Amino acid sequence: MVDLTKLREMAKEVISREDVRELIGYRPGTYGFRVRPAFVTGPDDADDLVFTPACVNNLASYIVLEEKLPVKRGEEPDLRKVAVMVKGCDSRALLQQMEEKAYPRERILVLGIPCTGVVDMAKVQARFPDVLEVGEIALEGEKLVLSAGGTKEEVPKEELLADKCTRCRYPTPLVYDELLDAEVERFADDDYADVAEMEKRSAADKWAYWEEKFNRCIRCYSCRNVCPMCYCEDCVLLRLQPQWMRRSVDLSENTAYHISRAYHLAGRCIQCGECQRVCPVDIPLMELNRKFSKDVLELYDYEPGTDVENPPLLSTFKVEDREDFIM
Amino acid sequence: MAEKNDFEPNIVAFLCNWCSYAGADLAGTSRIQYPSNVRVIRVMCSGRVNPLFIMNALQQGADGVLISGCHPGDCHYMQGNYYARRRFNLMRNFLEHLGVEPQRVRMSWVSASEGAKWKEVIEEVREGVKEVGPMDQFKRRQLNW
Ligand code: SF4
Ligand code: SF4
Ligand code: SF4
Repeated sequence: MVDLTKLREMAKEVISREDVRELIGYRPGTYGFRVRPAFVTGPDDADDLVFTPACVNNLASYIVLEEKLPVKRGEEPDLRKVAVMVKGCDSRALLQQMEEKAYPRERILVLGIPCTGVVDMAKVQARFPDVLEVGEIALEGEKLVLSAGGTKEEVPKEELLADKCTRCRYPTPLVYDELLDAEVERFADDDYADVAEMEKRSAADKWAYWEEKFNRCIRCYSCRNVCPMCYCEDCVLLRLQPQWMRRSVDLSENTAYHISRAYHLAGRCIQCGECQRVCPVDIPLMELNRKFSKDVLELYDYEPGTDVENPPLLSTFKVEDREDFIM
Repeated sequence: MAEKNDFEPNIVAFLCNWCSYAGADLAGTSRIQYPSNVRVIRVMCSGRVNPLFIMNALQQGADGVLISGCHPGDCHYMQGNYYARRRFNLMRNFLEHLGVEPQRVRMSWVSASEGAKWKEVIEEVREGVKEVGPMDQFKRRQLNW
């Protein structure tokens, strides 16, 4: 577990530096077990910072989502660093962003958190539906201790753990300037058994499954907005000329939306699971993303966000790429 | 089943200007008969084909989509078909994952001299799509207000 005193001290030190503009971390939420992102601009705010298994958000999204305000005449743009706390999976988002040259490495300062897993808030919510006080989740050995309003409960870790953490390949951040704790050994692996299972089903079966899901989508675009890799200024989903999909919420347009979103993340999605987490109607978006992840790994031996020197998957090719599907 | 075999599919084909379009042209000038189900859209290179074209065609009434370009190494722009191959492979696998039969989404290499191959390709695509029937998974429907 990350030592809070150490975390806050380091945050204070970082935010006091001349060349750092802002620090993005986590702070307790207003009720229940949730935490929320904290945007720290001075040493005093750093006292709120926490890191617990409730820190599910991928803060890498904020680095690319920030609106670049026009600079006033005679003023220089603020090019100081932004410091950001990342878990192992989140750090891959940073690597992938830099691989795509979204910003240069020296614009960010990475506070890496070796991670032993975070909870799935939906599971926590289902188990403790009416906690109104601000609660806390801590990991003690293999148990999660949830305390709120004077009561304390212990739950085995695997009961509340997020799905992505049960197949985490990179618990220790792959990029960092400061590491907040000792490195964590890889404790799980990913065999894509869930995707393979789906692949075996018949076409009619698969479509029946997805038809129900896509029909439910309300096109709120939360899944796109939260994604650390969805940062194009001119998004294909909002284009009017050409209009790739209509605004109407119906099966055809929804399917087009899901195909476009998922395809645009082919070879880019780093599997942080944020898209699925924020979906208000519980569409299993990871099952779409994971199909691509499996394919790019199997076909092109490519894993997004693991090597900043790798050129982006779809802007390169190899002469010997597979072509057994070509007539 | 008899009903299904009467069905004549709409096939949209994206052909590259330098090889496949010329190949189809050659089939025509050599008087090779090939199925008339195919609607050709000429693009400058198979690398020009945005994978979303496939989705869009299927949405707008195509029962099958074919992308065709020069053989590897023959691309007029040196590398366009290599990029197309990667993009297409992922898209085809993904559509299959959603329940769109792989027979609907095809890719071929047809050179400017392969008029006869063009005929074979079209026949095969047509047979494949006939087998799986009309595309109705996520076809755009006209609403009657
Ligand atoms: S996937 Fe790995 S790094 Fe990410 S939250 Fe889970 S355990 Fe931590
Ligand atoms: S698509 Fe989902 S899992 Fe992939 S990077 Fe975006 S938010 Fe994360
Ligand atoms: S978050 Fe869910 S409902 Fe909203 S657009 Fe994405 S899939 Fe649809």
